[in-house]
Amino acid sequence: MIKDLTIPLYGELENGFDTLIAAAGRAKEGNEVLKGRKTAFHTFTERGFPTIKNEDWKYTNITRFLKDDFAIQTPPANPSTGLNAYVHPEPVDHALVAGAGIESLDCYQLTLVNGNLLSADGASHRLPEGIRLITIAEAVQDPGLAACFGHSEESEKYHFTALNAALFSNGLFIEVKAGFSLDKPLHIIHVFTSGYNLLVQPRHRIVVNRNASVTIIESVVGSVPEAKLFVNSLTEIVLEADSKMDHYLVEMAGVNSRLVQHTMVSQKKNSVYNNYTFCLQRSDLLRNELHVLLNEEHTETNLYGLYLASGNQLVDNHTFVEHRKPNCYSNELYKGVLSEQSSGVFNGKIHVYKDAQKTNAFQQNNNLLMGRKATVDSKPQLEIYADDVKCSHGSTVGQFSDEALFYLRARGIGEETAKGLLINAFAFDVTEKIKIPELEAHVNKLISGRIF
Amino acid sequence: MNDNELIDNIANKEYEFGFVTDIETDIAPIGLNEDTIRFISAKKKEPEWLLSWRLKGYQSFLRQELPKWQNFELPAIDFQQISYYAAPRNKKKYNSLDEVDPELLATFEKLGISLNEQKVLAGVAVDVVFDSVSVATSYKEKLNELGIIFCSFGDAVQEHPELVKKYLGSVVPHSDNIFAALNASVFSDGSFVYIPKGVRCPMELSTYFRINAENTGQFERTLIIADEGSYVSYLEGCTAPMRDENQLHAAVVELVALGNAEIKYSTVQNWYPGNKDGVGGIYNFVTKRGICKGDHAKISWTQVETGSAITWKYPSVILQGDYSTGEFYSVAVTRNKQIADTGTKMHHIGRHTKSRIISKGISAGHGNNSYRGLVQMGPKAEEARNFTQCDSLLIGDKCGAHTFPYIESKNNTATIEHEATTSKIGEDQIFYLNQRGIDSEKAVALIVNGYAREVLNQLPMEFAVEAQKLLSITLEGSVG
Repeated sequence: MIKDLTIPLYGELENGFDTLIAAAGRAKEGNEVLKGRKTAFHTFTERGFPTIKNEDWKYTNITRFLKDDFAIQTPPANPSTGLNAYVHPEPVDHALVAGAGIESLDCYQLTLVNGNLLSADGASHRLPEGIRLITIAEAVQDPGLAACFGHSEESEKYHFTALNAALFSNGLFIEVKAGFSLDKPLHIIHVFTSGYNLLVQPRHRIVVNRNASVTIIESVVGSVPEAKLFVNSLTEIVLEADSKMDHYLVEMAGVNSRLVQHTMVSQKKNSVYNNYTFCLQRSDLLRNELHVLLNEEHTETNLYGLYLASGNQLVDNHTFVEHRKPNCYSNELYKGVLSEQSSGVFNGKIHVYKDAQKTNAFQQNNNLLMGRKATVDSKPQLEIYADDVKCSHGSTVGQFSDEALFYLRARGIGEETAKGLLINAFAFDVTEKIKIPELEAHVNKLISGRIF
Repeated sequence: MNDNELIDNIANKEYEFGFVTDIETDIAPIGLNEDTIRFISAKKKEPEWLLSWRLKGYQSFLRQELPKWQNFELPAIDFQQISYYAAPRNKKKYNSLDEVDPELLATFEKLGISLNEQKVLAGVAVDVVFDSVSVATSYKEKLNELGIIFCSFGDAVQEHPELVKKYLGSVVPHSDNIFAALNASVFSDGSFVYIPKGVRCPMELSTYFRINAENTGQFERTLIIADEGSYVSYLEGCTAPMRDENQLHAAVVELVALGNAEIKYSTVQNWYPGNKDGVGGIYNFVTKRGICKGDHAKISWTQVETGSAITWKYPSVILQGDYSTGEFYSVAVTRNKQIADTGTKMHHIGRHTKSRIISKGISAGHGNNSYRGLVQMGPKAEEARNFTQCDSLLIGDKCGAHTFPYIESKNNTATIEHEATTSKIGEDQIFYLNQRGIDSEKAVALIVNGYAREVLNQLPMEFAVEAQKLLSITLEGSVG
């Protein structure tokens, strides 16, 4: 736990909390929400920031990313209802937004700047009736939704989620109505930008009701040429019985940004959740935590991930699948390519509870170490308390064979191109899972652009 | 709290010179302090350097806290309630086998242990016919001829201080972990083996046949050194159930393999696991580590763990020499309320180093079995290679099987493979065997033995047969 003065941010949070709460109060947040913020903040102050002595942060030393002075983003003071309310104070780099767009893909598209919905984007109006989309700033004023943002053990469980639950600023609340299937993917572009050192804490909540289905693509882009930006986001996803969600995440945040992103999914009976994470960012730090709770029987969960890193980057993927009930299926495949002196971390945990008989849980992690000084730390982990289960995990670390490279070189293919081909082939196992051809092409293009 | 202890230490130092060692007493007063350590050291007539090493161990013991990372609840251990030195106790002697607990005899019977061995193990006064002494003597002559040193640790300190001084604590330093520190400060005795250059030890060395064999008790320390080009196979423990009054066992084993040398270390552990409700039973917290110091050296750990209430150990290999090899083969069985948190660590430092890990966990009843392993590729471990396989077998719905592998690579030419599976014995497999007239209990024994074969095959022959029977016996009554 870090509480001392080595991290100025800590002191700032401690002193600034009341001011921040006052701002939230002005924003007419319900009492329950305010109380939730207070308990979460209390939990956070007790815990502080994690250190490498904390098992979950063993390989990721967060201290060096927190050392700078950060200003803390406040919730919008007076959010009126209606989606057009917010105008970002600084001009947004349109090239950035355009770059995140997916060529020839027919979709609904929204842009968020530091968690705030950009009004210039009128796209949300075109969303069909079956979807309710409001900002978090609005949602916290709705007494009907107060319970979602009040005190909850789950969202306060970790160091950073507790901090987010205390001080989240804005984000999206999306609800898919029962029985409704969204015809086109919903593409959300998250832009993170700032002219000064800033801590941004967006929070999102996605609820997919009974028998509904939705495809959401999230692209994360950012440009912070002159400052440092720390993003601590929390996304909660609730899948009701018989619902389905395809969730794509394309990480492309730029240099000088550090991201800690926590996604918490809770699945009910017969629901299906597919997650595809592509870490193609240039940020200093990317830590993804994907926590899936299988709360009822007969669910299906597929988690696919690909991470590329170069330079001094640190990319860290933590997944945690909790099999709480019988007859659930989960499958996980994460692949990573680490070049130059970058570091990769993978931690995949599967917990099978005592009652969760007939569980099938699989997990695989493969790493390609390209750089002489690249490192990888992999920790697949199984905790099993039921006997009628089939669980396995596999993990490899290696490099591509010289023979394969020689084969290509002998056919007149340049070394760089040959390596590119081999990396693409390595990544193919993950990219082929993408169900949207336009997105697959988009991701492949990004991978090729990312390698060299 | 630690501060207080330190203050106490300083305060106690005043008595340093006033302390008189009572050579006549056989039991050290209960509790742990510097005086206890001085008492043990004086009792064993140890040289000054060893005493100061013990005291350093004690200081690091005081500095450390009990670990919290393990996957079980560590029972409260009161280090001040333990007597740290007792002269070898005279076990209760029986006049004939008829007086021995019939349950114990039945187990011996199943293990196929010869009548004479049974007597020795059960503590029956051995008659003149059984010439264990002459067996031991003939072995001793043979070993002497080859220049092999195989004796108790205490004797080694007296007779070969230069070797002990050179290698003691070189693999497991006195500050390694809290239990190793405790062992360093109070270790009672243990075995010492030295194989000279180029000698291949002609027989399996085992504590069972050890010359000067005595009950070394709870803080054993073993040091095995294989000089260049030598080979030794060492067996520890035995398949017969071992009962012991001491609950905490914190042994340390250090292996040193120089260039081209090979050490094979096999353990069969069947200590008292406690009763059905998990009351009593041994805490087996052992620090085992080997180092392949020279090129082309090889260290291989094989273990069959069926006893103890808690088994907590990670036999490791430091692969320092180029082209050196480390191996770990393990079968761990937990039943009733037993807990096993075991695995290995392979530290690849040298170029072209290789390691292979095969771990088979079997959980039955309320047992919990964890594999925890570390494979580490250092920046200079060019072309290093690791293969790990850890499988878990679950019998019954109240047990648990867990795997915590840590894989760390800092070299891009190293290759690591890890795979783990967890499953239960298939009903179809049992049904198939039932169909052929084999009852469920035997069927499970057959399946388990097949499952553990890869590891059992690594044991020296006579041991392997016993270990196989031991597995079946351990799992008796856990099916149906």
